[in-house]
Amino acid sequence: MPEVLTMRDVTRDYSVGSGFGRKQTLRALRGVNLGIERGTTLGLVGESGCGKSTLAKILLGVEAPSSGEVLVDGQPIQSYDRIERAGLIQPVFQDPYSSLNPRMTVEAIIAAPMHVRGESGRKTQTRVRELAGEVGLPGHLITAYPSQLSGGQRQRVAIARALIGEPEILICDEPTSALDVSVQSQILNLLHNLKRQLNLTMILISHNLAVVHHLADEVAVMYLGQIVERGPSREIFDAARHPYSDALLKAVLPPRAGVRLPKMGPEADFPSPVNPPSGCTFHPRCPKAHALCAEQMPKLSGADTAHSYRCHFPNNVKDEECPRV
Amino acid sequence: MNNMTTSAQDGAPVSLSPGRIALRRAFRHGGFWIGGTIILAIILIAIFAPLLTPYDPSVQSLSKGFVPPVWAKDGSWLHPLGTDNLGRDYLARLLYGARISLGLALLTVIISGTIGTAMGITAGYWGGWPDMIINFFITVRLTLPVVLVALVVVALIGSSLWLLILVIGLLLWDRFAIVVRSATQQLAQREYITSARAIGSSTPRILFREILPNITGPLVVVASIEIAHAILLEAALSFLGLGVQPPDVSWGLMVAEAKAQLLFRPWMIAIPGAALVLLIFAINLVGDALRDVTTPEGKA
Amino acid sequence: MPNDTQILNVQGLSVQIPVHGSMLRPVRDVNLEVGRGETVAVVGESGCGKSLTALAIMGLLPRQAMVQSDALRLNSESLAQASPKRWRQLRGDQIAMIFQDPMTALDPCYRIGNQMCEILQQHRKISRTDAMARSRDLLGKVGIPAPEERLKQYPHQLSGGLRQRVMIAMALLCEPELIIADEPTTALDVTIQAQILRLLRDIQQETNIGLLLITHDLGVVAGMADRIVVMYGGQVVEVGTCDQVLAQPLHPYTEGLVRSIPVPGETEQGETLGYIPGIVPRQVGELSACGFVDRCPYATDICHAKSIPMRDADNARLMRCILPTDGSARDPAVWVLPDETTAQGAATHGSTPCPKF
Repeated sequence: MPEVLTMRDVTRDYSVGSGFGRKQTLRALRGVNLGIERGTTLGLVGESGCGKSTLAKILLGVEAPSSGEVLVDGQPIQSYDRIERAGLIQPVFQDPYSSLNPRMTVEAIIAAPMHVRGESGRKTQTRVRELAGEVGLPGHLITAYPSQLSGGQRQRVAIARALIGEPEILICDEPTSALDVSVQSQILNLLHNLKRQLNLTMILISHNLAVVHHLADEVAVMYLGQIVERGPSREIFDAARHPYSDALLKAVLPPRAGVRLPKMGPEADFPSPVNPPSGCTFHPRCPKAHALCAEQMPKLSGADTAHSYRCHFPNNVKDEECPRV
Repeated sequence: MNNMTTSAQDGAPVSLSPGRIALRRAFRHGGFWIGGTIILAIILIAIFAPLLTPYDPSVQSLSKGFVPPVWAKDGSWLHPLGTDNLGRDYLARLLYGARISLGLALLTVIISGTIGTAMGITAGYWGGWPDMIINFFITVRLTLPVVLVALVVVALIGSSLWLLILVIGLLLWDRFAIVVRSATQQLAQREYITSARAIGSSTPRILFREILPNITGPLVVVASIEIAHAILLEAALSFLGLGVQPPDVSWGLMVAEAKAQLLFRPWMIAIPGAALVLLIFAINLVGDALRDVTTPEGKA
Repeated sequence: MPNDTQILNVQGLSVQIPVHGSMLRPVRDVNLEVGRGETVAVVGESGCGKSLTALAIMGLLPRQAMVQSDALRLNSESLAQASPKRWRQLRGDQIAMIFQDPMTALDPCYRIGNQMCEILQQHRKISRTDAMARSRDLLGKVGIPAPEERLKQYPHQLSGGLRQRVMIAMALLCEPELIIADEPTTALDVTIQAQILRLLRDIQQETNIGLLLITHDLGVVAGMADRIVVMYGGQVVEVGTCDQVLAQPLHPYTEGLVRSIPVPGETEQGETLGYIPGIVPRQVGELSACGFVDRCPYATDICHAKSIPMRDADNARLMRCILPTDGSARDPAVWVLPDETTAQGAATHGSTPCPKF
């Protein structure tokens, strides 16, 4: 299947002030390569500061990459104007309390993408109502304001707004983490159904691996602005190669009797993206780190296969296949 | 059982906009009622001044100078508040004075509000160098002593009502700019602004549809403060002789003209003074009430 | 591990807050007991009253909130009538609290060392040098590298995980008997969360203090708690040991919660998850029915007719429900409702049953 979205060597630098006007460079993304096939869902996993939100902003065209290119349908993303781009890529944000304008009615919020395109006739109106039904909003709420909705209802409004322009790619940035547990599952069900019915390509950004497991076909694990492992969801969950993926998996606490806290989490603290560690950026926290890891950044292994990773001493790999040999 | 989407306030299709809710709350606010009634009364007086008094405020009648008000000895209902040194009816002057005081304040606030809001939104939304430049202007403006600058300008160019409006309007935008800038900065972080950009909204649409409606709360509060400020500034300038010029009349000018009579006919200074105090008090009451009802803490 | 000595005993705790003319009752008749060396988790979703319960126990509710209780005892000392002065003596000394967001719970204007010393000197006659030494020891104990330097730093210079460690160290300063942790890891990253939970549990077992853990995250509960208290709509709806409640939830609300969480390795990808229909009702007035009745798939006429009392279930558990106490008459399928409005397209896979466990 053709790649609907491709990122080639995308980096993004911010300059941050420190002390008296001395500027430092914060490299939020360091050479990200990513391709997504039409109709698949990619789970993007990582912790705060790993660059996943920057990645989302670049895809949404809210920010531009410092270098590298982003292709949508084979065309550079800059070649689309803002309305064309909006027709291709749409976001669903984490916090439905801040992603809806409190001064607009539900109807106006959902219709906004059409208004922006200059379509506001009766057809748009009926479409808004249809869509509100499809995402599970009762009809009487269409004239309500966001403050009158519950968290789950607001997230449904946000999803309807994202879908009205029939985009090809939906970027969901932590779509359930601001919601209560019992509401979370409703939104997950809804996203899954929509994805199947509309053949959506979805990028699911989350720190919650259970959510990613539930929705994603493929998983990319990010650490400090780099994708450190990427592969089919099943393989990552069954046999993660990178120790960081492994740590993330162990940190999932299922609500089951007899579950105990994981033996180890990476002990050291999250490094500063302004001043990243040498070699493999994960080595200060890595339980398997060797001297080599501090010196040399591991190359991407398995780049030509579905499952690639950046590690000198990967898990679940036979010794002779180890990349350092 | 399956009604997973009934709203918290349940079912009833209530959909009041946040603005309407604030207004509703305002009507339950004591300060809003008291202040609003006083302001409304003063506005009505200003509009219907010709119907309320038979006298022209600027027609002199030297033979009837210094008629005392009705409650004093020798007072009469012919001139309820007496007359001034030139025999002009004091009540008529007070009523017509409300026109200038209020109208001037409103016009100046429209000017300063537009300037300040535009600057504040620009600085807050774009940040970076536009922010630095606008901040510089705000700082420069804050270093200027308002009364002195107004005095100098009026003294150099000569006094007229329109010049006065323009000068005050061009001087009082600082608070608008500061408040709007920080309010916009906060909003720009909100995800609905990012959403608006992601759905392809043009910048004007974002500024006017997404940001402006959401800063009306602080805007209205600042406007009420600035109206009071403008009225006092006009009064001060008029008192110093560089504000409203005869034959126009404003409350500040009345105070200024009566200052010579402070010891002999104290009511002449007390009446316009009291009117000013009452108006400013009422405006502040309303401003406070608006602040109460637009802050999120007051939410039900 | 829990022995018979109770540290905290709360009976019949209610909180009422007047809001815009009506009376909110966010906490109704809550009973709680925490023993020495025991971790009790209060679980519930936002608005269930769990945080207000914690604040009421700490005596930290605002003045307009009306707190009533039949008993509020800390170590057999009744606190129901305690003076504000007594409360100030207790807080930070015998009861300590760890908040969700360490950035807002630490004062950004003071160095870590100053903040820690101040707590110690307020409660103990101790010299500043000794207070500093003890603070440094504790920072080391909670796994903070280079504690000497941290004492001189300001909160903003620390990462989120370190700040939460500082909060834990501060809570331990006066060797409290009870620590109340309100969502201690919600603001943290997942790998840091595991570290902090582990630290909390190790310290609690070492010092044998009571830990009252307030959280919405059943996963955290599973890893930490000895006993679980499930709250819904201001009421306690179920009490039991951690393993009992998670393996066989008795109250329909707990059951719905447990069934709505995807678990890698158990739930299949894309499997329709269970959910609890409806939303949390506003807590106003007296209850004339079961508080959960509008959202309960098992609801009967009785549930609508009267409020449901707490009753004993098997194995020393408590539940506020009229269903059989042995967990029979439950059907996992009732939670997997088709999302009514997406049903037209999704009906094909709407009835995948939830896994047995």
